[in-house]
Amino acid sequence: MLLKDQVAIVTGGSRGIGRAVVEALAREGAKVAFVYKGSEQAAKDLEAHVASAGGTAKAYQGDVADPEAAKRIVAGVLADWGRVDILVNNAGVIRDGLFVRMEPDAWRTVLSTNLDGAFYFCRAVADQMVFKQRSGRIVNVSSVAAEHTNPGQTNYAASKGAVNAFTRALATEVGGRGVTVNAVAPGFIETDMSEAVRNKAGDLIKKAVPLKRLGKPEDIAGVVLFLCSPAAAYVTGQVITVDGGLSLGAAVA
Amino acid sequence: MTQDEIFEKVRQQLVDALSVDEDEVTPQARLQGDLNAESIDFLDIVFRLEREFGIKIDRNELFPESIFQGDPDFVQDGKVTAKGLSELKTRMPYAELAAFEKNPEFENIGDLFTVDLIVRYVQSKLG
Repeated sequence: MLLKDQVAIVTGGSRGIGRAVVEALAREGAKVAFVYKGSEQAAKDLEAHVASAGGTAKAYQGDVADPEAAKRIVAGVLADWGRVDILVNNAGVIRDGLFVRMEPDAWRTVLSTNLDGAFYFCRAVADQMVFKQRSGRIVNVSSVAAEHTNPGQTNYAASKGAVNAFTRALATEVGGRGVTVNAVAPGFIETDMSEAVRNKAGDLIKKAVPLKRLGKPEDIAGVVLFLCSPAAAYVTGQVITVDGGLSLGAAVA
Repeated sequence: MTQDEIFEKVRQQLVDALSVDEDEVTPQARLQGDLNAESIDFLDIVFRLEREFGIKIDRNELFPESIFQGDPDFVQDGKVTAKGLSELKTRMPYAELAAFEKNPEFENIGDLFTVDLIVRYVQSKLG
């Protein structure tokens, strides 16, 4: 097992990509604390599912956009398990809409969860990883939308572009203390969040993706796991695109 | 705790925090100039001293790096003013300012942060 006895925190962990990340880390021996906001049943199901596979996962309720939530949850994890080796900032939301009609609330909500949430959790684990342990892995889940965006996602693209810049900047600060910071930028992944887009343009997207299929949450979890594993010890400040080649922009032949 | 005992503990913490050899950590060694400390290292040192000695070090107490930032009353033409020197004495009573006062170039302010300064600071905290 790659992560035996390590302690991980995964935000947005009860569904979609987050759930696949929780399962992947737990399968490799990590004790995983995952954060969910509203999906209590999904969180309980996941706890039970991981336990039945012989792993350890514990659900923490909280809204990542709330600065107090990160402090409370990290303190809880430290009380339970005494350290934090891995942080995966995965919680994210969309509030798509054309910019000329975008209300400040749609902007604020997306930035608060996708960007501020990552800041709060990084900040809450920083002393532990940087000073106390001098080791740690941080993985931020970004999006190809930061670089290859579509109309209707100014807020989302801005939040993910900021996450990429934050990832690189933080990597330069904490690298000397054994902490790596990377991001994974998924393309079109089959999750609840992308359902509306898939229903509208799923077939079109499949044709445009060189690998000729949409991504699965496990496709992202695999790369997150790599970045948390000993194999990625010398990787930091990188944004790894995982989109089946979509961003290559190849013509549909 | 005697001054020598404090020095030995401080030395060990600096060896760990800065990845330097023990014999480099002399009382006169400057954290930046001689031991290559970077800004994050100062926070690390504060963290380690708190843990080692069981003391609480307020932000900007031991290494008050931002005392003078952008304040024309304290720094003029690259030199620390009389007012600035008086502020330094208030904020860092454990610092040896005599040499600095003779040539108070602002860019030399980092030279005040020596191993000895930490030892005297810890001594004053422990009472």
